[in-house]
Amino acid sequence: MTDDLALEVQHLTGPTGAPVLFDVSMSVPYGRTCVVLGPIHSGKTVLLRHIVGLEAGSSGTIVVDGEDFDARGESEVVLRRMRTRLGVVFQGSALINRLTVLENVELPLLEHTSATAQEAREVARELLSAVGLQAAGAAIEETSCAHLDRAAQRRVALARALALRPAVLLLDEPTLGLDSHSAAELDHTLERLQDTSGFSVVIFSHEVRHAFGRVDRIFVMVKGTMIESGTRETLQKSQHDMVRRLLNRRGAA
Amino acid sequence: MTVVPAEGAPGGEVFVPLDTGADTFQARIIGRSRLAITAIYWLAWLLFSRRTVAGTSIQRELEALGIGALRLVMSSALLLGLIAIFQVAYQLKGYGAEALSISAIAWFGARELAPVAVALLVVARSAASIAGELASMRTNAEIDALRAMGLDPVKYLVAPKLAALVIALPALTILADGLFTLGGWIGSSVFLGFGTSFFAEQYRLAFQLRDLIIGLVKSILFAFIIALVASDEGINVENRVAAIGEAATRAVVLAVLGVLAADTVVNAVFYFIPSFV
Repeated sequence: MTDDLALEVQHLTGPTGAPVLFDVSMSVPYGRTCVVLGPIHSGKTVLLRHIVGLEAGSSGTIVVDGEDFDARGESEVVLRRMRTRLGVVFQGSALINRLTVLENVELPLLEHTSATAQEAREVARELLSAVGLQAAGAAIEETSCAHLDRAAQRRVALARALALRPAVLLLDEPTLGLDSHSAAELDHTLERLQDTSGFSVVIFSHEVRHAFGRVDRIFVMVKGTMIESGTRETLQKSQHDMVRRLLNRRGAA
Repeated sequence: MTVVPAEGAPGGEVFVPLDTGADTFQARIIGRSRLAITAIYWLAWLLFSRRTVAGTSIQRELEALGIGALRLVMSSALLLGLIAIFQVAYQLKGYGAEALSISAIAWFGARELAPVAVALLVVARSAASIAGELASMRTNAEIDALRAMGLDPVKYLVAPKLAALVIALPALTILADGLFTLGGWIGSSVFLGFGTSFFAEQYRLAFQLRDLIIGLVKSILFAFIIALVASDEGINVENRVAAIGEAATRAVVLAVLGVLAADTVVNAVFYFIPSFV
């Protein structure tokens, strides 16, 4: 383990019984942006689920913000502690549709902090403002998340993921289904927030278009195995056709 | 703002992998037991906490599961009262004992018919929607999102439904008791020709407060069965779209069977151990 790593995955194989990931290792330094790049069904989302503790592996260690977690499974109490250091934006946002926008963002604050309801509400409003939803004002706060468009949902999910000031922000296909303008705006927001808060970002994606200018390291995953990692420049010279194809996929420029 | 150590619910992991084979049944029983323990834990917790969003969810669930069922329960209870008085009077007519039909209304209305009818009506109206809602949340990764935030889905999704049903079912049962009796009175006075004072006297002689209390206790038991069975079916659904409908159907079937089985057990206990009440 290295002290300057916000997230480290060591020799992860899983899930138990029907492994999709095989001896996966990766590391993300504090304040950096990394992309786990791979085609559909390469195991990216499964890797994210392992990191968050939603799946148990057959072997491996996950190190989050300096603390080791057994990838084979931990108690709920330990997992909850780990999860407070991770912010997750799932593919499709995964907001709680029955709750309002404000309630979605308040949820982790009310659960994990000593904030009063009023304080949690204020912090949630600040977060919504930080992700660019302040223009809509009070109207959007009380809107059910089911009634938001996809881009707004993604922003609310981002605000919710940042509520506990995580060390690492994990985003699963964050711009999937967004038009290019909305995707670019989301990228810009993400970069701005990273500049101010200093969290690490891991993007799980089939393309590197988003946050492209910011990516420090790319991990290429194919069929559950990390086949290569490096900067875009080094990977462009890769011997693997798949790596070059993924990097040069339309939208990567 | 400081992050305080997380508190753990007693049940731990309630999500049981869905497999086929002998292990599945055992796993589901264990999973369902854990769900029940965790939900009851959070139900107790919710009573004393006002900080959580889950608290406000109870109000929403009460509106959906309780107030939303008012018209169905009220109209059904009234009709059941009429049906019961006609049916019993018809059976007793040959013995010249039609008047006993009023006593029969008092005997099994509060204790048996109202709580069971209300439970089955609520199952018909809400079990599928509870299971469907949770199943769709599961497939949309909303439940995963809660867990990824270190939040217990049982606390935020199941406990409010359980709380709402534990409040709503007894309340609806009391209402159904009244309307069932009203239906009986309408049937006996308008169609069978008994006077109101005769009905009231016969009813008063046959009715016992303990029947009402037993009916209410049953309704609370039914509330637990409906909430936990429907939630379990929804929350443990397989991750495919068709599974949502299957879970909803299974929730209704299992909740109906659960209510009737529990009622059978309660009645058997009262029959074989009369001193129990």
